[in-house]
Amino acid sequence: MKKKKIGVYICHCGGNISDYVDVEKVRQSVEGEDIVFIAKTTMFACSDTNQRDMVDDIKANNLDGVIVASCSPKLHQLTFRNVSIRADLNKYTYVHANIREQASWAHSDNKMGATEKAIHLVKAAIAKARYADALETNKIKAKKAVAVIGAGVAGMKAAISLAEKNTEVILIEKEPFVGGRVAQWDSLSTTTETGKNMVKRLYSELTKHDNITILTNSEVIENKGSVGNISLKVKRTPRFIKASACHPDDLKRAIEVCPVEVPDEFNFRLSNRKAIYKNYPSEYPQIPVIDVKNCTRCGECEKVCKAVDFTEKEEILDVEVGSVLMATGFDSYTPEYGEFGYATSDNVITLPQFKRMIDTQFDKLTYNGKQIKNIAYIYCVGSRQTDGENTYCSRNCCTSTIHAAVTAKQKFADINNYHFNRGLRTYGKQEILYADSLRSGDIYLQSYEDGLPTVITEGKKTIVKINDILTNGREIEVEADLVVLVTGMVPRADNTIGSLFKIPKGRDKFYNEVHMKLRPVETVIDGITIAGACQGPKNIAESVNSALSAATKSYSILSKGELETDPLVATIDPEKCTWCGACEAACPFDAILKVEKDGKTIAEINNTVCKGCGMCAPVCDPDAVNLIACSSKEIMSMIDALV
Amino acid sequence: MENPIKNISYDALVIGAGIAGGEAALNLANTGFKVLLVDKELSVGGKMIMLSKVFPTLDCSACITTPKVSEISRHPNITIFTGSEVGEIKKISDHEFTAKVTKHPRYVRVEDCTACQLCEKACPQNVRDQYQFGLIGRKAAFIPFSICSPKAAAIDIDNCTLCGACEKVCPTNCIDFTQEVEVMDLHVKTVVIATGFDMFDAKKMPRYGYGQYKNVITALQMERELAPTRPFNTILRPGDGKVPDKIAYVLCVGSRDASVGNPICSQICCMYSIKQAQLLMGALPMADVTIYYINIRSFGKGFEEFYQQAKGMGVNFVKGKIGRISEKEGGNLLLRYEDINEGKLQEAEHDMVILSTGVLPNKGIDKFFVNETLALDPFSFVGQSDMLASPAKTSIEGVFVAGTATGPMDIPDSILSAGAASSEAISYLIQQA
Amino acid sequence: MAELNKKSAKILVFSTEKISDPAIDMAGLLKLHYPPTVYTISIPCSSGIKPSWILYAYEKGFDGVFIAADGSDCVFGESCTEKTGHLVGKTHNLMKENGIEPARLRMAAICSVCSESFVKQMRTFNEYLLKTLHA
Repeated sequence: MKKKKIGVYICHCGGNISDYVDVEKVRQSVEGEDIVFIAKTTMFACSDTNQRDMVDDIKANNLDGVIVASCSPKLHQLTFRNVSIRADLNKYTYVHANIREQASWAHSDNKMGATEKAIHLVKAAIAKARYADALETNKIKAKKAVAVIGAGVAGMKAAISLAEKNTEVILIEKEPFVGGRVAQWDSLSTTTETGKNMVKRLYSELTKHDNITILTNSEVIENKGSVGNISLKVKRTPRFIKASACHPDDLKRAIEVCPVEVPDEFNFRLSNRKAIYKNYPSEYPQIPVIDVKNCTRCGECEKVCKAVDFTEKEEILDVEVGSVLMATGFDSYTPEYGEFGYATSDNVITLPQFKRMIDTQFDKLTYNGKQIKNIAYIYCVGSRQTDGENTYCSRNCCTSTIHAAVTAKQKFADINNYHFNRGLRTYGKQEILYADSLRSGDIYLQSYEDGLPTVITEGKKTIVKINDILTNGREIEVEADLVVLVTGMVPRADNTIGSLFKIPKGRDKFYNEVHMKLRPVETVIDGITIAGACQGPKNIAESVNSALSAATKSYSILSKGELETDPLVATIDPEKCTWCGACEAACPFDAILKVEKDGKTIAEINNTVCKGCGMCAPVCDPDAVNLIACSSKEIMSMIDALV
Repeated sequence: MENPIKNISYDALVIGAGIAGGEAALNLANTGFKVLLVDKELSVGGKMIMLSKVFPTLDCSACITTPKVSEISRHPNITIFTGSEVGEIKKISDHEFTAKVTKHPRYVRVEDCTACQLCEKACPQNVRDQYQFGLIGRKAAFIPFSICSPKAAAIDIDNCTLCGACEKVCPTNCIDFTQEVEVMDLHVKTVVIATGFDMFDAKKMPRYGYGQYKNVITALQMERELAPTRPFNTILRPGDGKVPDKIAYVLCVGSRDASVGNPICSQICCMYSIKQAQLLMGALPMADVTIYYINIRSFGKGFEEFYQQAKGMGVNFVKGKIGRISEKEGGNLLLRYEDINEGKLQEAEHDMVILSTGVLPNKGIDKFFVNETLALDPFSFVGQSDMLASPAKTSIEGVFVAGTATGPMDIPDSILSAGAASSEAISYLIQQA
Repeated sequence: MAELNKKSAKILVFSTEKISDPAIDMAGLLKLHYPPTVYTISIPCSSGIKPSWILYAYEKGFDGVFIAADGSDCVFGESCTEKTGHLVGKTHNLMKENGIEPARLRMAAICSVCSESFVKQMRTFNEYLLKTLHA
């Protein structure tokens, strides 16, 4: 075999690497390797100029492959594979070495050690490049359909945007109604439109598109396949109400006669609802639902309404899509028992509860039958924790609270607002709202994280105390009729759906994007995009921006109707294989077939089904199985180079 | 693809080739639409390509922009006009606009230039370098900056004496003084506005002494001092070239301040200042860095943790608004401020002061639309006609807005906003097809 | 600079492209230091590691081998944990047969944000290996 000619490029990363790793020494250490034809250092390997130089080098010297030693392959492996393609090389001849995250940065305390490690890592890459041959990608047909999971504003907007792009959409919502969190609000900041109206507007747009299927009361229970061809099973719980026979007055009666009362989660448990219910009159779809978990089947509703139908059955639907867009939203933080008097004091509620109270009450604001005048807001409850897990800022709560406080003051008489905050974060244009609130006489009291306010209950009185840094640390007490805990956004407690799709989470436990700036709506799972607050706290406009971005991403993956998949699959050495069936048993994808070849029973890999996990390799006693690009010869020669 | 051919019809016109415009153009091009991307600067990449590193990951900004820039510049569906300005835009029918684009001559044939820099060396004319925010000088024949795209020289004709020195040394004869202004009439189906933002001019607050005291600089200038392709190769104070060891950041310069006409928060200054403080602590381990702030607004993903990390590294945060700055003999600066913690007026001496200037609208885009009205918001940013449900829509159907043209925002938000604008534009184009 | 002269153990890490690689990268990003003689080979899934590779690493001079396993986060399915456990058991037996102390092979699940736990693992493994092999 002709000896390979390889080019090696070692990146300074503008100092990120070269401040700690002696890149010239790395270059010198590898330039003598037999297959290395060119070894260069470069200020920015990813820059346009260097990319052009690489193409020129490859063409001028007939190189068989290149190696770039730079940042993590997650960032730029794709960039350099494309460089190879432009120089008429097969992209699989490209090998990447990570000497930034795994050398210069990880060992910035030890320059000699970092340099040594970088040398070994580049040598291992050279060892790998020795065997990195041209491979043909597999082409598969992609289903031009997207499952959007979650029908809050992010999911609804993503669905509309995809449908506008002639893509079939299955919109799957766990709850019986669409609209998510925004449906819970009337008044919104920065607009005169109500949350409910926004949901109504989006719903009517959804229904205009024939290529959108809305499945409410439905959950994904199985996920198989991969990008391009994902098979989902969706469990659809019946509403037990026939839409066609639905007469509004009868349904109203049916709700009235239902004897079951359960805490109303839509109203943050401020009130109760029936087992047959609708959260608010104009809710979509406009059919009530019977909550099977709490229904006692007493039959009272059936007596007054023909539409009630207990014979409806749970359905399991098969859904075939090419991509999945996750828009599963967030939970509101629930304070711990006793946290700022939560659950231990009568007058302490959370911000979402308070917002519901403002929306649903008129003239007088009351709580537990008592009129509310003095309201204390305690910010950052469950966010920016110094002693808890939620170290992040929840982004939207400052604005949301001020908006609620201003609204309360406008709507009800004699309201005094006291904001116990840790530094207001009304970023951007939201600052105007803060200025308005100050102008209207709201009082702001501030502390740092080490001097949080305390809530004291004295008989029926609730007092909030703070050492206010804005008045030189003076201890200030406010007797509050109502204490509103400004609870932030937390990741969904129920992560069934996240586990089903194996979506990785970030340090804050929200779903994690591949790269905040390069690939902000993609996950490491090909074909799964994320939108809205499931990726991190966001306000409505920000959620919609991310939903539209994710829709574009899902669309562009599928728009060509065809996908290229990695040919990095398992291979069987027919000489060694004796068919014992161990690989077949180990394969989670049924990609191994038992075949007769030249009079011998052996295993064969179905390349379009194999995902290249390698689970079949270690179980093979005769060592007949190897993964392309991760075979024993490659791994062992890398070990040789690393030691 | 930078291309002088007057292809007179495109699916989309994207105005501004910063990170938002670039992202929007790429999304459109990747879904098969022909895009014309216009920028008035000599390079694509906008403000982001000039930055050092980006918060909160401390990735180098060039590592993120240059591959995108490279993808944009060679995309077969994208035509780029740099050094070009959009003029009159007219809606001529439901799905058609005409746009006048003026391409200013670069006096260099980009396709022949190898960026060898010989012309730079030969040019006798020194001027302040706008791409280094005036920190250093450049020649009248110059390569805008090291990672610019297209990577080619340009002649700054306003400062050129036509001495011909550059022409004589150019090995490829690519300098061409016969180039003329080209005005093109283009037809496009949709327009994406990604004209970005302006920085507040710190000279408008004379009490901070910017432009008067040499060691008072803006954060954008510090950004260049910290960048890998930086002018001095270390951190210096401009007054005397001394390495500073007591550095102050003044936040909210020109933001949250109705007295200078900008009542809103600029959304990025807290974070870029914290980032620079972290980088300074790394570059100058012995230096003290103090940030004077009103509220720290570290609200994005990973931002609060980044702020706490800066505190842990020893960056000093002082809650207080700076009243005025005066210069002492020797160039040090005296900051007078109200210390909120102590509740009294204080003075502090620093040897270098960085003003974290705010974000202002890049004005004028509305004037281009001649027969339709592009509505602006109360702060003169491009107005969002349906801010919550369709944040990229403007008052004109078929015209969308991306990034900081709608208001202050950080890079991740700009990219998402560009994703939204391109999504709407793609839908708009598909629906009419 | 005392760090320079300090010897550290040679550790080979088998890490997975989608799950533990991001954690190890993030450890670098956060400048959480660990011994520079820790080298990573990336593979798709921890249940695809052949025991023969691990034995080869010891033969060539690695002091320790660490499997940064996918655990329950594995993108290829639930069976990963069990299969990785199985191959570790098999390797331990082979190590015993070859007179290699089984404690020189360690495994822990490293999720995509387990940077701190990875670094802690590397530090303690390094200390253990230095104590037992290089004391």
